[in-house]
Amino acid sequence: MNTSTTSRAPGTPGPANDILVGMGQIAAGKTPQRMRAILGSCIGVALYHPGRKTGILAHVVLPESAGRDGSPGKFADTAVPQMLAILREQGMPTYGLTAKLAGGANMFNGSGPLKIGDANAEAVAAALKKAGVPVAGQDVGGTHGRRIEFDCASGEMTIQSAGRPARTL
Amino acid sequence: MNELRHDHDWALGALYELFASATHDASAAMCRWTNGLITVTLDQVREIALEEVSAELEIGDELLTMVVLTIGSEVGGNLILLFDEVNGRQLAASLLGREPGAEPEWSDLEKSALTETGNILGCSYLNAITRLIGMDLMPSAPYFIQDYGASVVQQAVMTQALTSDRLLLCQIGFRRKDEQLDWRVVFVPTQGMQEAMQRSLHAAS
Repeated sequence: MNTSTTSRAPGTPGPANDILVGMGQIAAGKTPQRMRAILGSCIGVALYHPGRKTGILAHVVLPESAGRDGSPGKFADTAVPQMLAILREQGMPTYGLTAKLAGGANMFNGSGPLKIGDANAEAVAAALKKAGVPVAGQDVGGTHGRRIEFDCASGEMTIQSAGRPARTL
Repeated sequence: MNELRHDHDWALGALYELFASATHDASAAMCRWTNGLITVTLDQVREIALEEVSAELEIGDELLTMVVLTIGSEVGGNLILLFDEVNGRQLAASLLGREPGAEPEWSDLEKSALTETGNILGCSYLNAITRLIGMDLMPSAPYFIQDYGASVVQQAVMTQALTSDRLLLCQIGFRRKDEQLDWRVVFVPTQGMQEAMQRSLHAAS
């Protein structure tokens, strides 16, 4: 798992303040940093503390770990507790947090081997509820990809999709 | 541990041989389909860490034109052709014998030319794999998608991600005479497909 604030995949250009969060990764950032991810069936879930202007973004791949090995950020049921643990390690209060999430598409129009997007969205919502973190906004489902950017200064999540106007949560 | 490593390396090497043979068939089919213009080469069969898939495949956050074929069973997988807008349009135009379309929306004919290319390539690979493993594989009809490449690849690797943090991918490139083209195919076999291929290769060795 990557919890650094400088995790850029090799060869991916972008502004210095951007953190690219790959599949199964978790990254924490502070203002003025922005965290980015490209999502299909995965869910990008961001927790934000407005007072500290600190955020953390997980790129969740699957709904349940079910005892499987893997980085905590890969599964909804392990990602959310791990995000809270990272915030605690950084001396952040875990009360007063809000969550925003996006993704969970079924990219192959429901004809693929798995309709995992819906299951991911439900599992992340359940994990947040269990952790007592309210959802302040979400853009999930559909059959299209999403490019998200989470701004630690404002707590806004901007979502772009092909052929659709950008949306801000 | 060394024995496991050896088995693992052997399996990757054997899969490479299989895909090289399948690529030979696919290249011949592609050559016929494009009147000798385009051939296909196997670039790599390799394992990639889950979090590095997009970076390793050099799929940034740009929108791509793709054709996807899905084999939706336990012994299955996904085959994706990826093009940027310009290259996709050029391939469609060369197949249709006309200038590349200038309209923002792709015409049905252009989409059809690209999906048929996916069909021909996909069926060539599946025929070769079917011969090896002795099982019938039924692909979906190819479908045309314009979206973020990383979003589509993400869904394609999902069945492998269920069981592993490392993904096995087969990358195929295209050539026009001596020129390497910026078109790509990524084939993502399921774990069941990998096991079936390895069993067959073991039995044959």
